[in-house]
Amino acid sequence: MLRILNSYGALLLRAMGQTLLLALSGLFFACILGMIFGILSVLKNKACNIIAQIFVDVIRGVPMIVLAYFIYFGLPYGLNTLAGMNVTLSALQAGTICLALNCGAYMAEIIRAGIQSVDIGQMEAARSLGLPYWRAMQRVVLPQAIRTMIPSIINQFIITLKDTSILSVIGFPELVNTAKNVVANTFMSFQTWIIVGIMYLIIITILSRLAKMLERRLNRGRF
Amino acid sequence: MKKMMAMLLTGVMISSMALPVLAEDEAKHFTIATDTVFKPFEYTDTNGDFVGIDVDILAAIAEDQGFTYDLNSLGWDSAIAACQAKQADGMIAGASITDERKESGWIFSDGYFNATQSMTVKDDSDIAGFEDLEGKTVGVKTGTQGASYAESLKDEYGFEITYFEDSPTMYQAVVGGQVVSCFEDTPIMASSIQDGGLPLKVLEDTANDGAPYGFAVFNEEGQELIDLFNAGLADIVENGTYEEIVAKYLGEDTAAASAAAMKGDAE
Amino acid sequence: MADSNPNIKIHVSHLKKNFGKLEVLKDISLDITEGEVVVIIGPSGSGKSTFLRCMNQLEEVTDGEITVDGNLITDPKVDINKVRERVGMVFQHFNLFNNMNVLRNLMLAPVDLKKADKAQAEKNAMEMLRKVGMEDKAQAYPAQLSGGQKQRVAIARALCMNPDIMLFDEPTSALDPEMVGEVLQVMKQLAADGMTMVIVTHEIGFAREVADRVIFMDGGYIVEQGPPLELINNPKEARTIDFLNKVL
Repeated sequence: MLRILNSYGALLLRAMGQTLLLALSGLFFACILGMIFGILSVLKNKACNIIAQIFVDVIRGVPMIVLAYFIYFGLPYGLNTLAGMNVTLSALQAGTICLALNCGAYMAEIIRAGIQSVDIGQMEAARSLGLPYWRAMQRVVLPQAIRTMIPSIINQFIITLKDTSILSVIGFPELVNTAKNVVANTFMSFQTWIIVGIMYLIIITILSRLAKMLERRLNRGRF
Repeated sequence: MKKMMAMLLTGVMISSMALPVLAEDEAKHFTIATDTVFKPFEYTDTNGDFVGIDVDILAAIAEDQGFTYDLNSLGWDSAIAACQAKQADGMIAGASITDERKESGWIFSDGYFNATQSMTVKDDSDIAGFEDLEGKTVGVKTGTQGASYAESLKDEYGFEITYFEDSPTMYQAVVGGQVVSCFEDTPIMASSIQDGGLPLKVLEDTANDGAPYGFAVFNEEGQELIDLFNAGLADIVENGTYEEIVAKYLGEDTAAASAAAMKGDAE
Repeated sequence: MADSNPNIKIHVSHLKKNFGKLEVLKDISLDITEGEVVVIIGPSGSGKSTFLRCMNQLEEVTDGEITVDGNLITDPKVDINKVRERVGMVFQHFNLFNNMNVLRNLMLAPVDLKKADKAQAEKNAMEMLRKVGMEDKAQAYPAQLSGGQKQRVAIARALCMNPDIMLFDEPTSALDPEMVGEVLQVMKQLAADGMTMVIVTHEIGFAREVADRVIFMDGGYIVEQGPPLELINNPKEARTIDFLNKVL
């Protein structure tokens, strides 16, 4: 174990950084996508609801590893041959898209459920005062919805962080991809995986604590 | 009969992982782990049979030395872990014999195949040699000698490496332009390009000196199996079985050269 | 129509409302004049709440016309938000914004819709809270208030937009009996101040005391209407008699 840390410690730390980078950039866009599709699914507009439903169903119905291959290889191929463009996606770009889509679909469901958990009377009261729909959403409904969403969102963040490991298949040098290399070079499987497991545990514990602190702050003195 | 048994047991799943019971008067029985796809050393052919140079060599040696075995196609990473966990007695998966692996306590057999590694690019690529790689990204397969070769050149020529977990994905990445080239065992690359009709070309003059593949066990407890393997390997090289097997997958020329090299090593 | 009498605040003509296949309002016509206090009674399912909610377009109407303050609100081209600013609404379940304290509940709409700057809005909000006897709870959150207190805050919130018309949708139905009085007291005060009010309620006593007109609805129609003493003490229609016998 010490030998691995000596020879590959720096490499594994860098891989941990790459894991975090990928997770954070994926989550950032996932939040945006989740917000858009979550709100589309609660609008009083059939077309919007259907678009959101299709997005969620398609993404949830495809395993992320399939999505990863499709985006990394299929998407540039499609754009280049069909649209005559000249696109290559880096593993980071493809990985970010993949995580954003995957996590975004689950976020959309969390956001939809969160908004729908807010009593309809809150929206009606705001509208009855003359507030436009979006204002009412922004000032009254979303702040309440977000509080009920937070535990699920934290949970989804952690799942997404762990899902970055799936992107080792497209060669992104995150922890699992790098660990497989270390195993191949040293033939020391258990030791490497123990180290990697502990690294994930550390990141996720820190993130969970931060999230809990945030949750407490948001809940202070309300309700 | 023994051969038939070995064939029958080939490919049995991990569920039958009971430690082998060794009785003096019975044939010895081992569990051997291997990769899933490492063409042409192990792969599933169009008939659904698990075949390859590793598979055939192991069968020939087992027959020669009179032992039986289960061959489990676990995948590269899991094969390593299985040996460590004593769920397998040894692995044969086109594993190069390296000092770093030996330092971890693994014991390798004599080399049973000597492959050179070389670089492959898209057939219409401008890249003609390592000098053209500066600032570019190349693909390698995790744990292969091609990966080590690329790593040894990386700093000198200033390129980046992306690690893939299987060869098809790596080839696809070269075809799709995600990486500009890949490093792979020369005969494997050549046969893959031919079999798959891939729009790739091997740059012959990028080949290195090569490194031998060995059968591996986790520690000295596996020495008996290593001894059996080495003895059997020497026999099948001597009696021509080895050359037949290699010829079946890589053609007469490679087989003859390879067999000659093996005989040379033995002396 | 509405223009013929400048005192008409709400004009309803042949209003129909369906929920899917269910016809909730079948053919309703009604005029409400300035300063009038109209109480709507009727059995549950009679459509009275739906009718009230049509008056500020919380329910889209299926057919017919509603004019409020001279604006034809059933016309999709009319900016309904502008009309709603002048039409306060009080709900059965209060619907105070749970994420804000009382003061911010009152200030949200005036500040957000630029009816007042913050200082003005706060001053006005405190005045409205005094009016309903809730000024000492300005910093409390809705969850810390009793039902009666919540409803008084809700009325103050509606008043902060300085409305011409107030709609009350069963304002005391969700309250414990001992809290009904405090809310009705505030409503009586409003009526005395000359506010135009439309109230859906089961409080027959309140109707008798405060209303200028009582409307009895059943089955999506207005069955009978008239001054409270007349309608309550001397109903003519069989359905009205039947209903009043049950509730009195």
